[in-house]
Amino acid sequence: MGGLDKNAGTGPVNQEPEFSSVSVLEKVREKGKVWEDLAKKYGVDNPDPPWKINLDSTCEALSAEQCALPVLERRNEEDVLSESLYQDVPYPERQLLALAHSMIERGLIDEDELALRMKFVSKRLNSA
Amino acid sequence: MAEKHKPAPMVDEVSDFEVLEVAVRELAIEKGLFSAEDHRRFAEFAHSIGPLPAGRLVAKSWLDPEFKKLALEDGFTASKEVGIDWLNPTGFGTPSDYCDLRVLENTPSVHHVVVCTLCSCYPRPILGHSPEWYRTPNYRRRLVRWPRQVLSEFGLQIPADVEVRVEDSNQKCRFMVMPMRPEGTEDWSEDQLAEIVTRDCMLGVALPHPDRKADDKRPVHKAANPVHGH
Repeated sequence: MGGLDKNAGTGPVNQEPEFSSVSVLEKVREKGKVWEDLAKKYGVDNPDPPWKINLDSTCEALSAEQCALPVLERRNEEDVLSESLYQDVPYPERQLLALAHSMIERGLIDEDELALRMKFVSKRLNSA
Repeated sequence: MAEKHKPAPMVDEVSDFEVLEVAVRELAIEKGLFSAEDHRRFAEFAHSIGPLPAGRLVAKSWLDPEFKKLALEDGFTASKEVGIDWLNPTGFGTPSDYCDLRVLENTPSVHHVVVCTLCSCYPRPILGHSPEWYRTPNYRRRLVRWPRQVLSEFGLQIPADVEVRVEDSNQKCRFMVMPMRPEGTEDWSEDQLAEIVTRDCMLGVALPHPDRKADDKRPVHKAANPVHGH
């Protein structure tokens, strides 16, 4: 069914990449509260967290014109990470961790600057 | 009356995952990987899509043989009749180069079901966001090998004399299933018919039923042997 078309220009995807853990993401994996727990705690019934749309849009934008992260490579790596480092994390939290992992792996963002930015963002979002 | 109004419950807590999502997005924008405007437009597109156009396409096809012929021969053109332009689904460009919708007609002897074995390609402009199970390696791996077994796990038993065809989505083609019109809907309007064509029917893991609408609450059957004393 034309599956080869998917590989055009995106490099080999059948080779399963190997990943090692990333400290800043490990902290989120270990301590982050997942949506299904938060939803239960606060009695809300929407199945996806509010940030899911933004996450999907980031994935789309990354594979658009400049194509910093081709969709097929991202999905392949998400599959691998979902069955290894992030296998105990529910969806869509593991999709987010996998995306950040792929971006760090490629040098699109730096681990240290991500950690620093998370501090700033956390302070901003939690300000009264 | 005002004192009786209670606001809907909300999550009043910022999770590390929410912080991570914002941080990743902001860094990507600052590094010029995409613009804030691009992201906003993708987000608006993502908010606007759902399975209604596809349900409308099926309902129109059930009522209009000429439109059905068009839908089966040229899903791209038929989609325009229900408001979807595959060449420009977002209104500002395509997220990828898919623009070939193929509508698969179920018959008394053939049942279609859709998968993407490589990743999670999905006809989003006309069917909205894919369900989580559609993305799972488990569904993708097993459907192509044991389609009847997987369909039975969705509660769909396909008779042995009905052929099951699995269509594998790819970068150029997207698929949706045109289920057979169920009995008991003979005098129904297009609006009525469109209501019973659910997302799962158009993926091939369910069949339309006159008593089940897309927005119905699903029945909850109590377990015969409940755990935790419930």
